[in-house]
Amino acid sequence: MTRKQRRLVLIGGSLGVLAVAVALMLNAFRDSIVFFNSPSDVLERHVGPGTRIRLGGLVKTGSLVRSDGLRIRFEVTDGKTEIPVTYRGVLPDLFREGQGVVAEGALDNAGVFDADTILAKHDETYMPKEVADALKKSGHWKDDYARRAALPVSGASK
Amino acid sequence: MALWIVFALMTAAAIGAVVWPLARKPRGVAAGNEVVVYKDQLQEIERDRAAGLIGAAEGEAARLEVSRRLLAAADMQSAQASAPASPPQVRWHRRAAALGVLIVLSVLPIGLYLALGSPNIPGQPAYARANLPPGHESIAALIGQVEERLARNPNDGAGWEVIAPVYMQLGRFDDAVMARRKALALNGETAARDADLGEALVAAANGVVTDEAKRSFQNAVGRDPQNAKARFFLGLADEQDGNRDAAAAKWRAMLKDAPADAPWLGLVRTSLARVTGQPPADAGPTADQMAAVQNMPEAQRIAMIRGMVEKLADRLHADGNDVEGWLRLVRAYAVLGDSDKAKAAAAAAKRALASHPDEIKRIDDLVKGLGLEG
Amino acid sequence: MIPELGHYALMLALGIALIQSSMPIIGARTRDPLLMSIATPAALAHFAFVAIAFAALAECYVFSDFSVLNVFENSNSQMPLIYRLTSVWGNHEGSMMLWVSILALFGALVALFGNNLPATLKANALGVQAWIAAAFELFILTTSNPFLRIPNAPFEGRDLNPILQDPGLAFHPPMLYLGYVGFSITFSFAIAALLEGRIDAAWARWVRPWVLGAWMCLTLGIAGGSYWAYYELGWGGFWFWDPVENASLMPWLAGTALLHSALVMEKREALKVWTILLAILAFSLSLIGTFLVRSGVLTSVHAFAVDPRRGVFILAILVIFIGGALSLYAWRAPLLKQGGLFAPISREGALVFNNLFLVCACATVVVGTLYPLALQALNGDKISVGPPFFNATFGPLFIPLMIAMPFGPLMGWKRGDLLGAAQRLLVAALLAAVAVATSFAISHGGPVLAPFGIGVAVFVMAGAVTDIVERTMVLRLPLHATLRRARGLPRSAWGTAFAHFGIGATLFGIVAVTAWGSERIAEVKPRQSLEIAGYQVTFDGVFNRAGPNYHDVVGHFTVRRSGQIIGVMEPSRRTFPDREMATTEAALMSRGVSQLYLSLGDATKDGSVPVRLFFKPDVLMIWLGALLMFCGGALSLSDRRLRVGAPRPARAKVKPALQPAE
Repeated sequence: MTRKQRRLVLIGGSLGVLAVAVALMLNAFRDSIVFFNSPSDVLERHVGPGTRIRLGGLVKTGSLVRSDGLRIRFEVTDGKTEIPVTYRGVLPDLFREGQGVVAEGALDNAGVFDADTILAKHDETYMPKEVADALKKSGHWKDDYARRAALPVSGASK
Repeated sequence: MALWIVFALMTAAAIGAVVWPLARKPRGVAAGNEVVVYKDQLQEIERDRAAGLIGAAEGEAARLEVSRRLLAAADMQSAQASAPASPPQVRWHRRAAALGVLIVLSVLPIGLYLALGSPNIPGQPAYARANLPPGHESIAALIGQVEERLARNPNDGAGWEVIAPVYMQLGRFDDAVMARRKALALNGETAARDADLGEALVAAANGVVTDEAKRSFQNAVGRDPQNAKARFFLGLADEQDGNRDAAAAKWRAMLKDAPADAPWLGLVRTSLARVTGQPPADAGPTADQMAAVQNMPEAQRIAMIRGMVEKLADRLHADGNDVEGWLRLVRAYAVLGDSDKAKAAAAAAKRALASHPDEIKRIDDLVKGLGLEG
Repeated sequence: MIPELGHYALMLALGIALIQSSMPIIGARTRDPLLMSIATPAALAHFAFVAIAFAALAECYVFSDFSVLNVFENSNSQMPLIYRLTSVWGNHEGSMMLWVSILALFGALVALFGNNLPATLKANALGVQAWIAAAFELFILTTSNPFLRIPNAPFEGRDLNPILQDPGLAFHPPMLYLGYVGFSITFSFAIAALLEGRIDAAWARWVRPWVLGAWMCLTLGIAGGSYWAYYELGWGGFWFWDPVENASLMPWLAGTALLHSALVMEKREALKVWTILLAILAFSLSLIGTFLVRSGVLTSVHAFAVDPRRGVFILAILVIFIGGALSLYAWRAPLLKQGGLFAPISREGALVFNNLFLVCACATVVVGTLYPLALQALNGDKISVGPPFFNATFGPLFIPLMIAMPFGPLMGWKRGDLLGAAQRLLVAALLAAVAVATSFAISHGGPVLAPFGIGVAVFVMAGAVTDIVERTMVLRLPLHATLRRARGLPRSAWGTAFAHFGIGATLFGIVAVTAWGSERIAEVKPRQSLEIAGYQVTFDGVFNRAGPNYHDVVGHFTVRRSGQIIGVMEPSRRTFPDREMATTEAALMSRGVSQLYLSLGDATKDGSVPVRLFFKPDVLMIWLGALLMFCGGALSLSDRRLRVGAPRPARAKVKPALQPAE
């Protein structure tokens, strides 16, 4: 093989791998991207049953019900709309009524959000960022959250 | 002074370290070059060939490649060696470089330091604090001890009673509220405990008498109609609700049946003057009374509150979408008796919330309630 | 006085960095040995003053000097000494100080151990290193100054975030930073070479130890962070594809590619353009990682906009350094001459293959990490790109890489014999096949692909062993001859084998724990038992335990295997009253390389507690593998050949131990 041919093999191979990588990414973007929605977004965007989304908002105070200890039910609110959520499992450290939460899962046919993950891994602040944004948008951002969030500011994350 | 001497020494050390090579006679610097690497690579190819990691023909080709590089590198090295910088140029360079170093290292750090440094604040590490006059020495350690005891024995009502005022002094208002609550629950309800809890709640809410605090004060007055603290704060609650007449009435009543040496006389008089817009009825507080006011925790608290209010103001000026924040800010300025700032804040709030007529109305209502318009 | 000394030392360091960044480079252009020789003492002095500044800050933390705002905000005199020290870098300002200190340290190391470098290369590289240092020192002084003071010092500082009070998190940032910042050296070398326009095989030889050192630290840093997340967050997950984690993975992938391409460049003087690009990219990705973590864009694009000074400053550094480097690259790269020849099927070809896949895998991580940010900035849509995305892209790209990996070291340079290599890997392939069959036989359930994953991992590990076996001719020669050959093998060959074996072990752990890990979530009453993977875990009850600034509600569990008590596990819920925060402290019990993992929920009124119990088969292999990779790197680094070219000073005998990495 001449130098030119070798180079062609090399470049061809590279382009091939790159094409595969791009194809994989496009495919993954179609299938595995999860949109973040506030309860109001869910209504406005007509999110259908079975579509995987992340639902974020505040855990409505007084809505938390534990049935057999591990199965829990609560409502996520952004101040305008509430969506009931069911989840089975141990709740993360920072889960509390009146606090922000992000749940991942899908709506069932009855309009109940069936969560398989309740996100535990917030930043060092008490509020997941999407929740803060959503609450600010709907005008329910209270000074209190900012104050609390300001306490452990600027920690080294990982 | 010692600080500046040390700075001077550090600067001298830095200049010395960097200028040092310039002061030496120019000589060949110990440096490597490619030749050594390529010679080693030639040996490596032999080893690889012996280990069967490269074929005989390929090894020969590789050896040729490396040899070519070796020759080129050797040529370059000798070319460089035969063309050293000429002495006059070196001398000129040396002077210019030394001068540059001198200027940069002596001017830039000091300039920066004068802009950013705080030469007059002494360091206050723990071991230095330990030598401060008694009383200062180990508040933190004392608190630590009490907290530890309380953590072991959370039903120690007296302990909570002791630590609550300390929390207040330190500005840990949320902790103070917690401690007051425990003291109240464990030691039984009295007017004084109710009033203290209320005071802590007010402090925790940045000086606003919240509904919860108001209920505490009402409980206190229910138990002891003469409880001064509760009566004062109930007046303040009225003032913050915009009901100045009611506030004035409450405070006048306090003054009427006050003992002549009550430490809070001055405070109530100034507050009364604020809501009525008249100078204090008496000739004014005596110097002693002023001093008493100065020493009162309330006075300290107001200073602290001012700090918090400024922080709130900064935040709102950065991000003005928080109507609750604005309401609180306007109210806080009014409470602190700073009506100009209150008005300015209200105006700023209206600008920031221009697109929300509902919220502007709330601001307007508050301004009216506080009697700030005009 | 101490904090002010630190403050001034940092300013002096900035001054020195400015001198170091200009004069040696002018010297290198005008071939003036005098100006060039400034670089070495300047780099040492720079490090000395940065070290003074860092030590001063650490002093303020250790002795709780709350007249320093940064100490007041992030420390507390009641914290144990070790956390007072580690909270120096537990916050933004302090961690930037650490960043700069490590940067200065690497500069000083090059100055000290770079005697084998040509004078111009050394002067230029130290100059470029000083550009970076000056930029970050300016950043610290103007936007993130840790030496700002409070006139009336408060009595007590605000506590550190309780989650950060953990030995794991205390020590892995320095390791990670050693890796991140280590790539600054390769970047400086690349820019220096481009400035000079002389890029040859020897360059690769000189830069390789630095790449290795940075790569080792980054490997350990990532592994440490992953283990911390595993045991501290209470979810038993070891990798979340979270942007902060990706920020460290991206430079690792680019750095691994660089490590391999530099080898080709050294041997054949080929792939020069590519290697230089990788050197630039590896550090650029480190910078991007710093930007992502430090600017607040991750918390929210809006948070970035509210207090943009820091973010904009780092963004400017990013744009200037990456943009500048790439422009210089675009200008100079076409001038580079062709290198040596090699056939596509050869050791070099295998390394190119490795580079292709590593870089593509790195690209998918970059896209997956930055795409949500870009989308949010463009149209406000918030999406999360989570594990499914990375599993669907990163995985398929990594598997071919793994399969090809054992072939590389068995192929000859310049022209290899694929068939021959395959024959020699026959045993390894057989072992892999056995592993696949065994996994199928003993596993019930789990993904169908998992046994094949195990097969690949075994193949990789066996392949690494094969390489050593082939080269020492075990079993084919008498034992003493084998041993002699083993001793004669270059250390880098051992290093390769260790590192490759390590990656196989990590893969093994990941596949096993992902496919066959089991989980029980239940609410247990006292005396009640849970059964998992042949273990009976009995709940005995809860008790309280007080800590220094927290209190624990501890669950007591007895673990039995076929009736025999083998130990107790005591997971707890930890409450920090000062912060109104609770954390879950999971309990771990190691059984060989597998672990039982137990975390506790909030106890209910009737005395029962919700628990998550995991069985994590072979989970420790993940981090043992990383440790092996680190050891492999260390072995390679100790290889004699990387030190070749250092002129031996006749009088002073340099101890070998003092020359880890020139």
